[in-house]
Amino acid sequence: MKRRTARRLPIVFVLLALLLAAPAGASKPIAHREVLPNGIVLLVAERPAVPIVVVRVFTNAGAVLDPPDRAGLANLTGSLLTRGTAKRTGPELDSAIEFVGGSLSAGAGRDGLTASLSVLKKDITLGLDLLAEVLLTPTFPADEFKRKAAQIQAAIKRSEEDPGTVAGRALGKLVFPNHPYGVPVEGTVESVGKITRDEAVRFHATNVRPDTTIVAVVGAITVDEARREIAARFGGWKAPSEPRASVASVGGGAPPREETIEKALTQATILLGRQAIRQTDPDYFPLTVGSYVLGGGSASRLYARVRDEGGLAYAVYSYVNPSRYGASFTVSAQTRTAEVPKVIEIMREELARMTREPVTDRELKLAKEYLIGSFPLRLDTSSKVADFVVAIEQQGLGLDYADRYKERVAKVTAADVQRVAAKYFAADTFNRVVVGAPKP
Amino acid sequence: MRSTLVLLLLLVLAVGGAAAQSSGDRVVAATLDNGLRVLLQEDHRSPIVSFQMWYRVGSRNESRGATGIAHFLEHMMFKGTPTHGQGQFARLVEQNGGQDNAFTSQDVTSYYVNIAADKIDLVIDLESDRMHNLLLDAKEINSEREVVIEERRTRTEDDPGGFLGEEVSSIAFKNHPYGAPIIGWMEDLKRITPEEIRAFYKTYYVPNNAILVAVGDFKAPEVLAKIRAKFGRIPKGPAPPPVLAVEPPQNGERRVTVSKQAQLPIVYVGYHVPNQKSPDAFALDMLSTILSEGRASRLYKRLVHERQIALEAGGDFNYFALDPNLFWFWGTPMPGQTPEAMEKALLGEMETLKNELVTDEELQRAKNQVEAAFVFQEDSVHRRGALLARFELVGGYAEKDRYVERLRAVTAADVQRVARTYFPDAEKNVGILLPKP
Repeated sequence: MKRRTARRLPIVFVLLALLLAAPAGASKPIAHREVLPNGIVLLVAERPAVPIVVVRVFTNAGAVLDPPDRAGLANLTGSLLTRGTAKRTGPELDSAIEFVGGSLSAGAGRDGLTASLSVLKKDITLGLDLLAEVLLTPTFPADEFKRKAAQIQAAIKRSEEDPGTVAGRALGKLVFPNHPYGVPVEGTVESVGKITRDEAVRFHATNVRPDTTIVAVVGAITVDEARREIAARFGGWKAPSEPRASVASVGGGAPPREETIEKALTQATILLGRQAIRQTDPDYFPLTVGSYVLGGGSASRLYARVRDEGGLAYAVYSYVNPSRYGASFTVSAQTRTAEVPKVIEIMREELARMTREPVTDRELKLAKEYLIGSFPLRLDTSSKVADFVVAIEQQGLGLDYADRYKERVAKVTAADVQRVAAKYFAADTFNRVVVGAPKP
Repeated sequence: MRSTLVLLLLLVLAVGGAAAQSSGDRVVAATLDNGLRVLLQEDHRSPIVSFQMWYRVGSRNESRGATGIAHFLEHMMFKGTPTHGQGQFARLVEQNGGQDNAFTSQDVTSYYVNIAADKIDLVIDLESDRMHNLLLDAKEINSEREVVIEERRTRTEDDPGGFLGEEVSSIAFKNHPYGAPIIGWMEDLKRITPEEIRAFYKTYYVPNNAILVAVGDFKAPEVLAKIRAKFGRIPKGPAPPPVLAVEPPQNGERRVTVSKQAQLPIVYVGYHVPNQKSPDAFALDMLSTILSEGRASRLYKRLVHERQIALEAGGDFNYFALDPNLFWFWGTPMPGQTPEAMEKALLGEMETLKNELVTDEELQRAKNQVEAAFVFQEDSVHRRGALLARFELVGGYAEKDRYVERLRAVTAADVQRVARTYFPDAEKNVGILLPKP
């Protein structure tokens, strides 16, 4: 069944964080931007070479808006958008898009709800019609509601067998104790069980709205064509009378805590995590460089000590995860049960060393050159471009963020890294989660 | 397990290739005097290149007692040469803004570097060096052994899906090495000696056993000249030994039940099927798409949506397998559903395929999906390169263009015929994972 086994795990988290941190080489704007009369921000990037079009519609209707006892509401609402509209049933939507080899999906994340479309250029009319239907006229059929809630509950139950997921959930709760970021996007089996169809209908009516919506159109399409097609379908979309929901930024973290979750496994998952800062803070750039030196790649300190020299782990990383309302910094590893104390000790030592002494010139150069030089790779497909422009718009970073990022990273000094490490890498400020067997 | 299922879906898409109008004619192909096969494709949309080395060696080339050695060696390929010491490879790639990784499958070991196009000389330098001059120091091998064992713990010991897959493969194959896990049995990982790894490297890492693929923003003649200069110096090796094992016909059903800490049961069903050397491969590929690609596909629609028996269900056929392999089906029952009911539902779908023709809509949708997937693939230089290599491995990159034509020709009767031929109820391999509280 398993077709391949790779040298390193692909770490999506890391890539996304870097993506947000991506610098640009060229001064040509990455996308055309305009605001439609109803508040929709339209972003268009022309990529004419391959006859495909990718569209992302992002709206501020993420899990951060879930009521405290209804965790998972945004996620359930999002996943129901493609399960029935005023014109078509769920299976009819599936058949329509898949018959042309395209894909249409919707779902929520922490900050927003996203509907995604990928189609061949020749099928753009059909694709956009379906996309508009699912966003504007979803019907939340009762049987689909029941089915989807049960599927999400089953998926949550099953995810309990994945130690990485279990550890991540536990750490989230410790890092963001008083904020929706500490609650899983998918909710819990219990909270999903409480959600009613009416609540999903209301969540959509109130929070999926043009004045918090970003539409990114990328691919074999011109700006004029994109404007015309989007305006034709979304131009008459009106915001509801309710005010836009406001979300508080994460407060300061609580004193660090430790949690051990026992499972009969041969390997333990170790996560150290704490709050950090996002791109709007000037210290974000030294933090990113510092995280890369510590545990960002195959040349990092943690990779060298834990994996290359120690043979203690297959996966060991550190990464900054910036989001709109807050950020976290995480150090992670998986190791055999007997070596948990040793790996934690190395993690703590290396964190402390970052605060105690400046990184070497060689390390600094490597991190900066990687972060700046790998930029083109992060924008080499239409999907990646669409995700990138949505992310910078959503986080309010501006379309020139990429250029500014490059300048900022280039200016980071070893002293900057050490100064910022003193703030964010102090080992005693980290929450700690271990999932695995208690004893070898 | 999630990631396995996702991976399988991606691979199903990967079976799709490039559109008919794609790029066969723009590939510059050459075979160096030492046997190295080179495929270059210019793509000037982004200032990047995907540089890939594909060695014709995987777990199928391993012998009993030394399973996992191909993948172990893949790890060692990052451990340095006399010119580029331990850690240098990753450091140089990252310092130049590149991203690299590698994977081992049953059939092949592949290394790639995606990097700014003006850094291609560096990659040519590094890849030609480690093809011939790998250090394979005993101390490094023993340290990396622990890393590979950790990887096995992550992927198999502590992963219900991976654990069950290994068990089913091992009962499905009595003779062919496809029965052994790619990562290797734990006992072998602990035992394999540095001498064996060195011998394996010497046997299989020769230019005449490799394919070099580069797609990106370069001028093909210039790059070819550079490749000749660097790789051309490496001597041709003896032809690696062919895999002789042939799997005998299956006589009767085989079944394994394992118990493991998990939340939900898993059911796998595998049937022996031919590979791309058989004309039936195209109908099997269509069958796989009809069953599993998207929410309108049969297993999703019937078992997940309508009957709500499964949280997930799918099927998978590997068109590119070098030897006849398994057609896999899987299902994860919803809470409250039993693995018996899940198995019965999957087998019921087999019977339906044998008894009734798939509809015109299903067949046409599957063809459109595969064709569209080829076009979507063109958007990424990395995927373009991988696809060229996949087809080259099974007979020539130009087969890519004929592949779509052959798929288009598949009829509903073909799909029914292959279902009847290759899914006999009495010759299935079934694996059940029961959650241990």
